Amino acid sequence: MFNKMKFSLSARLAAKPGTARAGYIGKTLLIFMLAVPALIAQEFKAADVKGDVKYQAGTSEVWSEVKEGMSLQPDYFISTGEKSFVQIKYREQSLSIDELSAIHLASIKTMSTDELLLALAMEDMINAPVNDGKNRSSSTAVYGDKKGKENNLVNKSDDFGIKRLNGAVQLAGNGFKESSVVFAKETYRKYPDSKQIPLFRIFFADILYEKGLYEEALGEYLDSAKLDLNIEEKSNVESQIQRINKILLNN
Amino acid sequence: MVLNLKILPQSSFGFPGYRGLQEFVIIPFYNYESNQSNYFGIKDWGISLQYGAEFARTTLSVAPDDLTTDNSELDLNTSLYLLSIAKRLGNHSLSARYTPGYQKEFIFKTGESIIINDTTTQSLQANYNYKELFGLGYSYNFNEQFNAGLTMRFFSQDFNREIVKPVFGDTLYLVREAINEKISTGSIDIGLDYILNKQLQFRIASINLLNFEDQLTNTEFQGIELNLNRGALLTASYFPLELLNFHLLYETTNSFQAGVTGHTKGFIYGLTAFHDYYQEPFIAGVLPAVGYRTDLFEILLSAVKYFSDRYTNASYSKFFDEGINNIINNSYSFDKIVLSMAVNISGKPEKKVELIDIEITREIYPSFYDLYIDQPIAYGNVVNISGKPVTVIPSVKIEGVTDDQIQSPPQTIAPGDTVVVPFFVIIPDKYANEKTFLSYADFFISVTPLQPDAQLQKATLINSINSWDGNVANLRYFIKKDMEFSMNYSKNILSRNKSFLDTIPSPLLPFHKAQIIFNEFAKLIVYVSDPRATAEYVQFPKQTLDLKGGDCDDLSVLYSSLLESVGVQTALVDYKGDGEIRHVNVLVNTGLNPEQARLITTNDKKYFIRKDESGKDQVWIPVETTSLSNFNEAWNIGVEKFNREAIENLGLAKSKIEIIDVY
Repeated sequence: MFNKMKFSLSARLAAKPGTARAGYIGKTLLIFMLAVPALIAQEFKAADVKGDVKYQAGTSEVWSEVKEGMSLQPDYFISTGEKSFVQIKYREQSLSIDELSAIHLASIKTMSTDELLLALAMEDMINAPVNDGKNRSSSTAVYGDKKGKENNLVNKSDDFGIKRLNGAVQLAGNGFKESSVVFAKETYRKYPDSKQIPLFRIFFADILYEKGLYEEALGEYLDSAKLDLNIEEKSNVESQIQRINKILLNN
Repeated sequence: MVLNLKILPQSSFGFPGYRGLQEFVIIPFYNYESNQSNYFGIKDWGISLQYGAEFARTTLSVAPDDLTTDNSELDLNTSLYLLSIAKRLGNHSLSARYTPGYQKEFIFKTGESIIINDTTTQSLQANYNYKELFGLGYSYNFNEQFNAGLTMRFFSQDFNREIVKPVFGDTLYLVREAINEKISTGSIDIGLDYILNKQLQFRIASINLLNFEDQLTNTEFQGIELNLNRGALLTASYFPLELLNFHLLYETTNSFQAGVTGHTKGFIYGLTAFHDYYQEPFIAGVLPAVGYRTDLFEILLSAVKYFSDRYTNASYSKFFDEGINNIINNSYSFDKIVLSMAVNISGKPEKKVELIDIEITREIYPSFYDLYIDQPIAYGNVVNISGKPVTVIPSVKIEGVTDDQIQSPPQTIAPGDTVVVPFFVIIPDKYANEKTFLSYADFFISVTPLQPDAQLQKATLINSINSWDGNVANLRYFIKKDMEFSMNYSKNILSRNKSFLDTIPSPLLPFHKAQIIFNEFAKLIVYVSDPRATAEYVQFPKQTLDLKGGDCDDLSVLYSSLLESVGVQTALVDYKGDGEIRHVNVLVNTGLNPEQARLITTNDKKYFIRKDESGKDQVWIPVETTSLSNFNEAWNIGVEKFNREAIENLGLAKSKIEIIDVY
């Protein structure tokens, strides 16, 4: 439910395009060579739990209750219900997951801008290559004689996509901006309806802009412009598009 | 009697007046005089004719007292000199010639006379006739630089002489009687050609290397038969320009010839001066020649001009003192005009291209049957040696692999240009050799489809049918190879589960097919770490099922093949590792869209989304084929590995992991 979506506006940082880009370009090579995947390979702990908080471990199909003080593994997915929250502690830090949010604990990691770029590039690598389909197997054997009857079979998620995006916003709010974008992008793919929410699209587009990834940000803003935007969102998106176009032209 | 008569029919003097070792010249095939190696340029059949005219009497009369007894006028005697035929069979060349005009007849007055009725005196005559009857030639072209061959020539010698025979009776009578004897003679010579390059070529040949002849029985004729002394012949030709070629020919009898020849736009010319040890002056004469040639025929008009007076009359004693050295060229030969014509019957074009060298670029893996349609197995350097653009058709035949020549796309080459030509090949479906072996590939370059203009042979390694080059993308060939078997196997499994599948909504069918098929074959198979102990050996699906085991490559090939055969799309995941052993497992396209993913799992980490070729999002799941307990376990293990290495560690982006679609 979008009307129950909550995210902190403080996560939306002011854009500083000139300095961000200059820093990015100047340090690209050095960062690329020295950057080490900074996954915080730590054990997480549920320090404070309120309401309906569940976890799903690894490849398990089961959601179990998170109890206060229990240790959590990086491959756990944490999901909070309405009016619920959990504070996750790791090392000397903590991260609060507010209500109606979902976070994959492995996403709580610092990433460099280059790693973010690589992660964004993976989308194209995952896709099947475009071909004319002539080489596909001609066999279309079907058992069960149900072909065509239930093609529109859909089991809607319980807005898990929105929960994930709420979680991504909170990741960004806690400084994990790069991984929040990756998490959001994965959410868009797995839950396509979540792509239709302008606030999230604009939020993560702003992060890309802030990181100096103008072409990637422009793509997001252009996609956002096709959505049903309010006046403020529309003005914001259009000004960002103009700003980026100017930057790209000058470069 | 006659002691020093020298008749050397094998010297190098010939009528054409145009010589050259150039392969494109047709003429040499009938000119055995200077072509003992039988080297010629026709590609199939050739016939030739030589017709000549001699400005002299047909016979020569010689008297012992230097008095001419034959005063007939000089006239023009024409006759057919030669007919010949030649055939080229690959590197072998054959030729034969018939030489009715290669003969010389001498009529002598013996010095004896008979007085009839005390009033009439009749001189006794001798008639010696030397003929070259026919010849045969053979040669073998070893390579572009060496050619060797032999020629055999057969002669006839016919001796007639009148004698006075006393008849004893009551009265002594003297009776005029003719005695005659005919003997056959032959000789065999060999020649070797060395073509250093297109500018410099050499020939060495024998003169009368092997001789055979009938023994004369009549002592009256002994000493006048053909004298087949042995000797040698050396030729050097230099071709600096088309219009200016130089030839030098030396015989060990201390005779030589020096000539220039040339050609342009089909027109040819030649001018040869010859020094004959047995004739005066030092340069005994010249042979000018002009002609015209095309790919189909050659026509040449040549002449022999002697610089000394020709003996229409000569003394009997002089003849026996000096002798003659050649049937067609001696002190008693006359100026001639000779028309030579040769026809290239097959009309095969002259060689237009050369295949300089071949570079084999890859080993042959027979399972990759259509890989070499796109990726050439070799490249050849081809040069256009003709004066016009030519379109060449490259082709290759591999011993023990292809039955026929496999043609590659044609290429057009500008005159004088050298281009790199790729050679592609298709491995026949039926190929099933399980052993690796060293074979030979014949590479052909053809301008016309009938006959290759150039060819080269190279050794090439042919791997076994199960060999694999380690490139995961090429596992697709093993997946596709047994598709019919896989289809039958999979259908059999699915048929046994028909009642269950009938209850499954169609969007979920691919997922459940993948599940059922995996669980069925997993019962039969055990994971064996590389059973053949080589990383390059991959089993076909049937082999894995027959052997009931396989490593990750074999099991991924099997599972992918079984699914693809019933329309479930798969891809291979290549975990390249960092110096570690590579690993392969399978991705399965459930065909579900993202909104339908929860129909198969409530855990969204267990799948990922790929856009298909039309841009539609589909749910794919990784399956670890070496985990053979059950499908769900294999799925879970596949997910953990894929998420960790491909997604979280950015393996896909860093090219450490690659997804390879089977189709």
